[in-house]
Amino acid sequence: MKKLLAVLMSVMLMALVVPGLCEDAVDIKIATWTSNADQLALLGSFVDEFAAEKGIKINCTFESLSGAEYSSLLLMDLQSNAAPDAFWIMEADIKAYIAAGLCAKLDDALVSYDPADLDDGAMSLWRDGGSTYAVPFSTSPFIMIYNADLFEQAGLKDPNEYLAEGTWTWETFRECMKTIKEKTGVYGYMTVNNAGFADRTVMNLTPFVRGFGGDFWTDDLEVKIDTPESIAAVQMFHDMVYEDGSVVPPGDESNFFTGAAACTFNQISQLGNLKDVTWKWGVTKLPGGVSFLGQAAMAANPNSKNAGLAAELVGYMTSATCAARVAKYWPPCRKSVLESEEFLSSNAYLTADQMKEIVAGSVLNSRAMSNNINSPTINIETEILFDKLWNADADVASILGQIATVYRNNLQ
Amino acid sequence: MNRSNLAHRRRLAESATGYAFILPQMLGFVLFVLIPLINVFIYSFQNKNILFGTNAFCGLDNYRKLFSDPLFHLTLKNTLIFSFFLVPLNLILAMAMALYLGDGQFGTRYIRTVIFLPVVTSGVAWSIVWKYLLQGGTAGPINWFLAQLGIQGPNWLQQKGWAMGAVIVTRVLKNLGTNVLVFYGAVMNLDSGIVEAARIDGASGMTLFRKIKLPLLMPTVLMASIVTMIGSMRVFDTIKLMTDGGPEGSTMVLVYYVYYQGFKAFKSGYASAIAVILFLIMLLMTLLQWLARKKVSHYEE
Repeated sequence: MKKLLAVLMSVMLMALVVPGLCEDAVDIKIATWTSNADQLALLGSFVDEFAAEKGIKINCTFESLSGAEYSSLLLMDLQSNAAPDAFWIMEADIKAYIAAGLCAKLDDALVSYDPADLDDGAMSLWRDGGSTYAVPFSTSPFIMIYNADLFEQAGLKDPNEYLAEGTWTWETFRECMKTIKEKTGVYGYMTVNNAGFADRTVMNLTPFVRGFGGDFWTDDLEVKIDTPESIAAVQMFHDMVYEDGSVVPPGDESNFFTGAAACTFNQISQLGNLKDVTWKWGVTKLPGGVSFLGQAAMAANPNSKNAGLAAELVGYMTSATCAARVAKYWPPCRKSVLESEEFLSSNAYLTADQMKEIVAGSVLNSRAMSNNINSPTINIETEILFDKLWNADADVASILGQIATVYRNNLQ
Repeated sequence: MNRSNLAHRRRLAESATGYAFILPQMLGFVLFVLIPLINVFIYSFQNKNILFGTNAFCGLDNYRKLFSDPLFHLTLKNTLIFSFFLVPLNLILAMAMALYLGDGQFGTRYIRTVIFLPVVTSGVAWSIVWKYLLQGGTAGPINWFLAQLGIQGPNWLQQKGWAMGAVIVTRVLKNLGTNVLVFYGAVMNLDSGIVEAARIDGASGMTLFRKIKLPLLMPTVLMASIVTMIGSMRVFDTIKLMTDGGPEGSTMVLVYYVYYQGFKAFKSGYASAIAVILFLIMLLMTLLQWLARKKVSHYEE
């Protein structure tokens, strides 16, 4: 009994003394949706460098939340008394987070990290009223990844040849997909993550709609999904699915990465799926010169005990020195890095030319998806309407009209 | 006097021990079930939004909004359709299986195992496998099989009308085993004397089942129907994974809508109001079935 008491006492003493010994160590928690050990190690090393530079000690923990439920989980996490000091944030959430006061202003913290180097187009989503609330660590353009063997078997030119000729239009794209389906029996196009008829509907339709000169809504909240341009674009995609039969249709799990479709639109982070394929593949720009981004950013929690330090840490982790080193996973929106040798040679799957022409060339002057504070409500109401499109006899113009009405009623 | 006092004390000590044993469970229940449950009722009267941090009292606003919310009407209708088809299908199939197994015919042991396997399978794995089996065109194994018979199968999970049916069947097959076991137990416990007497009186086949076996099994059937009904109204994983509420919201049920309003749109107050309505519906259904018990099982007590 005495022994037990002694042990207990010493444990309690230690608990009292130990935090006192390293008084200057700051606890920082960062929420992310990656659980990849290499990526976390790299991010951890950035925190250590930052601490060394500041002459302090930081105990950093990473919290990996599930990607699919990240928005919900992060919000719960921020309400708890163990809230993260800094966090990754998805583009769909940023407007609401800014409005709810969940992102700290980063302007002061960014001064020492050359904010002018950040591309304005890529930053537009993360700024509000002249202030910056988050900095993208990933500005990944959608590119076309294709199965070169299937293009060849169908007697077509390589997509990059069409691009060089200046004939890589949406009409050419449609024609190629149709020819591949007819000549080889394999589907032409697989929608983004093969979820283009489910939760990636808007993401999948965005390049088509913008390629035709339409949009969902503009940054000034002008609804454009029911303009003739947008309708023509969605109609063409609909025809590809139901007339040409050249798109992996709803409810079909045929996958590009297993050779069951000739191409898909996605980001360079997906190229790892091509590691073991036996066929020849390639990448090219989206048809019609459309540049369309998927972004992810880092923000600081304004209610954190160490809010100031967290804001500076966000600045450091998205600075040019760090951005260059994460570029193999996530293309940056720092102009200096996009042009650097280090970036151009960072991806094991792509040559320097491809990185320069297709990836870097697509980042600058491109735009993110249409975004709004009220996105959650808009999504639930339009999801049902978008589903109506996926019938062979769907009246595209009328359905897009109904969707436009929901947008007009809810955008704020 | 002294002796009764002692007995009284012993009884007290005994019940204290009893309470001590259930204390951990009760603590957990109060902390993680009862208090959150009460909170749901409280939230349903607030305009609580966990994103913007509002939680002011708003009276019956949330409930009033429900009346004019077309999505609530749709999900309510879907929930009733879901339960209306799932419960009878489950009970009829389970009863048929139990009677077959009860007769001790060919392959009883294997069928028992096969029928119970899905119950112990993870619901997530079950849903993903069925999503694969039910692909449209001829890509899915089920449609491929139908195509061999010259039938063109529908796009099960993507076509309005078919999706609900596909989800119901998937769900029935998942949980069928539980009810089969329950009914099987009841069938085995049937008084063989009564059944034998009926046989001697010339009853057989359908008559034997309708006039003798079913009335005897009725208490079990009622119990199973209540449990199955409540279970069917709480189905979430199958729908989230297989159809995500689509197509055109045709498989969006109330629980899914609670999730959507609460965790996607972050309107916790509104979501709580929907949850309260769902709770009241289940309570009402259970009460109705409980009252019906007297009508259908005459011989009880």
